[in-house]
Amino acid sequence: MSKHHNDINPDSCTACTSCISHCPVTAATRKFRGPKMMGPALERMRLSQDDVEPSLEYCSNCKNCDMACPSGVPISTLNMKARAQYFKTRKQSMRDEMLGHGEKMGKLISALPAGAFFANLGMQVGKAFGIMNAIGISDKLPLTYAGTSFIKQFKELKQTSYPDKVVFYPGCFINYQDPQVGMDFVAVMQANKYEVIVEEDFVCCGSPLLVTGYLEECEQNAKKNTAIMKKWTDKGIPVITCCTSCGLMLKQEYQELFEIDGLAENAKMLYDATEFLVNLDEKGRLNKEFGAIEHRYMYHAPCHLRVQGYGLPALDLLEMIPGLTIENADAGCCGISGNYGFKADKYDIAMTVGAKLFETIKESGVDTAVCDCGTCRLQITHGAGVKAVHPMSLLRQAYEAKK
Amino acid sequence: MQKATVVVIGGGATGVGILRDLCMRGIDAVLVEQQDLAYGTSSRYHGLLHSGGRYAVKDAEAGKECIEENTILRKIGRHCVEQTEGFFVRTPLDPEDFEGKWLEACKNVGIPTIPISVEEARRLEPNLSPKIQAVYRVPDAAIDGFRMVWQNVASARKYGGRVMTYTTVVGIEQTNGEVTGITVRNTLSGVVTKIACEFVVSAAGSWAGEIAHLAGIDVNVQPDRGTLVAFNHRITSRIVNRLRPASDGDIFVPHGSITILGTTSASVKNPDDNVPTAKEVVELLKIGEALFEDIHSYRMLRAFAGTRPLYSADPNAKGRGASRGFVTLDHAHDGLKGFISVVGGKFTTYRLMAEKVTDLVCQYLNNKTACRTAEEPLVEDASPALISKAKQYFPAYGTELAASRLGSEGLEKVVKRMQDNPEKCQLLCECENVTMAEVEEAAADETSHMLSDVRRKTRMGMGTCQGAFCTFRSVGAVDAAGLAWGKDTQGLFKEFLQARWKGIRPILWGNVMRETQLTRGIYEGTLNINGAISDEGK
Amino acid sequence: MKENDVIVIGGGFSGLMAAAVAAKRGKKVTVLSLGAGTLSIASGNVDVLGYDKNGKPVANPKAGLSSVAADHPYNKIGQKSLEEAVQFFLELTKEEGYAYKGSLDQQQWIPTAAGTLKPTCLVPMTMDTSALKNASKAYIIGFESLKDFYPHLVAKNLRNMPGYDQEYEMLMVDPKLPAGRDVTNLDIARWLDSAEGRKAFVAQLRATIKPGSVAVIAPVLGTAPSHAVRDELEQALNCKFVESVVVPPGITGHRLRIMMLNHVKKLGVKVVEHAVVTRGIVENGQCTAVVTEAIDRERTYQAKSFILASGGFYGGGLVAEPGQAIEPVFNLPIAAPTTQEDWSNFQMFSNEAQPFEKIGIAVDETMRPVDADGKVLLNNVFIAGRNLCGYDFCFEKSGNGVAMASGYKAAMSV
Repeated sequence: MSKHHNDINPDSCTACTSCISHCPVTAATRKFRGPKMMGPALERMRLSQDDVEPSLEYCSNCKNCDMACPSGVPISTLNMKARAQYFKTRKQSMRDEMLGHGEKMGKLISALPAGAFFANLGMQVGKAFGIMNAIGISDKLPLTYAGTSFIKQFKELKQTSYPDKVVFYPGCFINYQDPQVGMDFVAVMQANKYEVIVEEDFVCCGSPLLVTGYLEECEQNAKKNTAIMKKWTDKGIPVITCCTSCGLMLKQEYQELFEIDGLAENAKMLYDATEFLVNLDEKGRLNKEFGAIEHRYMYHAPCHLRVQGYGLPALDLLEMIPGLTIENADAGCCGISGNYGFKADKYDIAMTVGAKLFETIKESGVDTAVCDCGTCRLQITHGAGVKAVHPMSLLRQAYEAKK
Repeated sequence: MQKATVVVIGGGATGVGILRDLCMRGIDAVLVEQQDLAYGTSSRYHGLLHSGGRYAVKDAEAGKECIEENTILRKIGRHCVEQTEGFFVRTPLDPEDFEGKWLEACKNVGIPTIPISVEEARRLEPNLSPKIQAVYRVPDAAIDGFRMVWQNVASARKYGGRVMTYTTVVGIEQTNGEVTGITVRNTLSGVVTKIACEFVVSAAGSWAGEIAHLAGIDVNVQPDRGTLVAFNHRITSRIVNRLRPASDGDIFVPHGSITILGTTSASVKNPDDNVPTAKEVVELLKIGEALFEDIHSYRMLRAFAGTRPLYSADPNAKGRGASRGFVTLDHAHDGLKGFISVVGGKFTTYRLMAEKVTDLVCQYLNNKTACRTAEEPLVEDASPALISKAKQYFPAYGTELAASRLGSEGLEKVVKRMQDNPEKCQLLCECENVTMAEVEEAAADETSHMLSDVRRKTRMGMGTCQGAFCTFRSVGAVDAAGLAWGKDTQGLFKEFLQARWKGIRPILWGNVMRETQLTRGIYEGTLNINGAISDEGK
Repeated sequence: MKENDVIVIGGGFSGLMAAAVAAKRGKKVTVLSLGAGTLSIASGNVDVLGYDKNGKPVANPKAGLSSVAADHPYNKIGQKSLEEAVQFFLELTKEEGYAYKGSLDQQQWIPTAAGTLKPTCLVPMTMDTSALKNASKAYIIGFESLKDFYPHLVAKNLRNMPGYDQEYEMLMVDPKLPAGRDVTNLDIARWLDSAEGRKAFVAQLRATIKPGSVAVIAPVLGTAPSHAVRDELEQALNCKFVESVVVPPGITGHRLRIMMLNHVKKLGVKVVEHAVVTRGIVENGQCTAVVTEAIDRERTYQAKSFILASGGFYGGGLVAEPGQAIEPVFNLPIAAPTTQEDWSNFQMFSNEAQPFEKIGIAVDETMRPVDADGKVLLNNVFIAGRNLCGYDFCFEKSGNGVAMASGYKAAMSV
């Protein structure tokens, strides 16, 4: 059993209210009773009584409460477990069914010839006829699919073989919606003399399943992914993600939620791409042959990165690129929180949460934001009207500028 | 001068049980209690409704009484009883040969025991130690001492019963070998009054010796202190007993959101000796490890202690050596007619004790009315319509709790307050889910004179933060509602927090230390309820 | 990168103060922080010294310094550094546009939500009581549904306080918040963050508040470290507001935290959130690095000097066990009574300090940890804040004062 598994209880909470002060959803809506109440306070009640607390659905699992807590209580995980408990005896809505199973949709679409075109068209049609709103998905945010999935593109790619290898966990968003980030990551690793291995058998990390209450399915995915990762980590080959929410799920939430052999060992070898590269630099092994990018950017640190407790390595990396200036927006959560902002009844809340970030970006006058998280990037583009790119894309650009 | 046919001394379970029984049989009675109701032993124990399994081997009679009363209380006090069932668990530290003796004894007494596998037991109670060796299910249950006492009073009041709290007995009046009344002093106002009566029934528990002494009679009650620990959450949803001869630290009882571990046993001189020590707590935890390995990582809320009223005709019997059975002493045999003491016994058998005492009084009064306390429920269930109406006002996880505490009538009053003033649906106590409306309702009761009295009625302040937040809110709310008992608010703050502090001091480490620092930070640091105010204020 | 001049362990007031001072001195600083510290739950005033060890009010903080015990942190920090720290902090607040008011020469007695007064030294302008002291009549403003502020309680007690015996009139404002969770001061502060909230507030009070008057109010004049909300409302109603201190959430404390974070980030300080420092790597009395432990793995942070501002028992910088106290990062020796009963007084509130609050790390004049004989244990580790021994901040009202001054002194010593 992992060391942290037992810690998912409310015992360290002193009811101090720090989480309430830092919860962006609480600030945005009065419908949410706040992290302390929903997490540690009601957890004590849930163990002895059965009741329904409708406000539970408002937690976005953004984890700002966990970050603010002076007592190390995994508040958001308590909430997610409670949500799963709630859905044990009740059925999710069609909306949650769809949002929880984004991977299914992605698979379906990419299997069809010209699937993405029709899917995106379908979304447009759905929007035009109000279907999206009718099932509770906001039609305001663009939910688009890529023409060719990352896995397909990767298969076509010819890599230079190197003795140093890493396994890449693309995750659903990169695979189906933003494959370019994955391709950029491979290029960056190649520039650092690493060969990238991609396992086709990886499944969705489970983050969207968790937040929509499909804890058992989430556990099935966790078991599959854990077994695959273990195959590589046993050999000392690290597993890398470019999505901070996938990374958090694989490293931390699995351990908090499930008892699966190998979780703790895998976690030791799991890296976010940016942290991996910063570590290379510390060993003097990072390729610093960056060409100049004369451009000004604003960086948004995803909440799911901040909560991982190792700072903002993307900033350290990007600051090495000549000509590039980057400023940390430091304006809190963007509001999207995975699929939260896609829900029609949460859309306004998500936009209120992100308002400060959008304003900060707009005021800065930059035309492009940088962010490690895919859905944050969607939200930034939607809310602030600027392009948003992954740090890997800029690194690749810098390497290519040197050639 | 007040008058009553019977004065009952002692506002614990037995006393209120007697009050209820007397009133139900049409006898005019008043109860006097030196502190608040359920202030003494009735709330200072683990809250176990015994199946009798614990006594079966050593004291078959007590075991038999338990299983019979257990069945009755589940019926009449269903809002006070959590039907959790219990486990008897043998650990590697316990004598194997006791198991057979115990099974045999339970069978003889009529206590059902069902063996289950260790795997099944751990599936049902995952926190149980993997080292345990044998498990039996028994019909134990958890019972809320505060609630049981309050609901007896609510029932007694319906039949004309009266209750005087913070009223201590200073004299028992007699003429020609017959009781004529008692003299009491209000401990809050200091006013001394007399109550004329024909009978005085002492159900003073550990204090019974002192009361009898007022009448010049010797009653050998030996207070035996038991220390207990309350944990912050439900670490087990069943009662867990060690399968061994009764000893320290071998019972865990879940109560709503918390779990209680008990107890120790030590003879003390003074029945008021209810201050637990850190040493006792550390020992309890050490013993508790055998059942719950991770016990040291569970957060404690507080430690508390009560004194068992052990009675023995033999003044040398002490502690667990003394009988847990009860005795009704008719002091007519000692030369004072109209004075009765009921001594010994345990919470589980309070109703039976009340019945026996009332029977005796009835005999004297030639009252032929049959006892109905075993049939009539203490409080009426709230109707489904009232419950669903209450749900519109109470926050989640609040309605059922409040309905159990308040019964139908009380719930209706609280809902009315909420209806009239929706802001009173808000929680003053966020740990135990107590609303402003319920705090006001409890504060307005004639037996409430300070915040701790409200706490005992509502559980406000008894959860995780132990008053860090609800003390301020409650003082503010009762003051705003004009219910502050004419007391200065600094005094209200201090009384409540000091009462909490008593149970926190012996366990001042880990998260309890952290919570304490938060509480002090608020009341001493920020609100400065303690510091002298300088003239230079201006 | 992970190499730094100074690593500050702890993102509370002492840690952020130390980071600001060190960064101002040109050091490359990283703060490793876990949680939001106690700032967001406290009231954001800087108490320096309100009472002597017998609980007697001290006339002014500076004069009181001579009365503190030998092992009190102020005796290590020294009056000069304390004065410099006050100066540094006041300038910082001005620079950030959220100026504090006060000096070591004058105790400020501010109203609390319990209707008492508490002595403090530096307060944000929103807690400036000078207008209140000169008024013959004042308002207490309450909010309908607010469960964390009771105007009647404030009015009833405040008029018994020396110097505050004026007439108080209660005024209730109805924020008409949408249905939902219980209403705390934070909800009201967020309501007043919004333009509609401020408009409604002014509209409800305009007719009743007499021009030129003073009003005591919960700390709800906005959540940001700025006086803009106060200024706007005061101007619109032509009156003065005095924010009182309340139970958590501590909105004024939250403002202080945001201001400090903004400030250190501007100075180039890196703040690593949610970083659990578990141990230091020490060779020959010299710390070379500290190690954080996350759920995935350990990470190492090197620096030339380290400031341990990890808090007391509450913040996790010290851990209390039966009969002993532990400092978990460097395993520094902590003197504590071995008998649990000696850790605390029988009364929670009395005229003496609580022994357990005084448990902490002993230091020399440069804030380095020392053993019982006064020998320095770590050459490049400096201690700041609540983990210092020798003071009960609740009793003597010195919480943020010690944090501020020890953070300053530690950063000046690196």
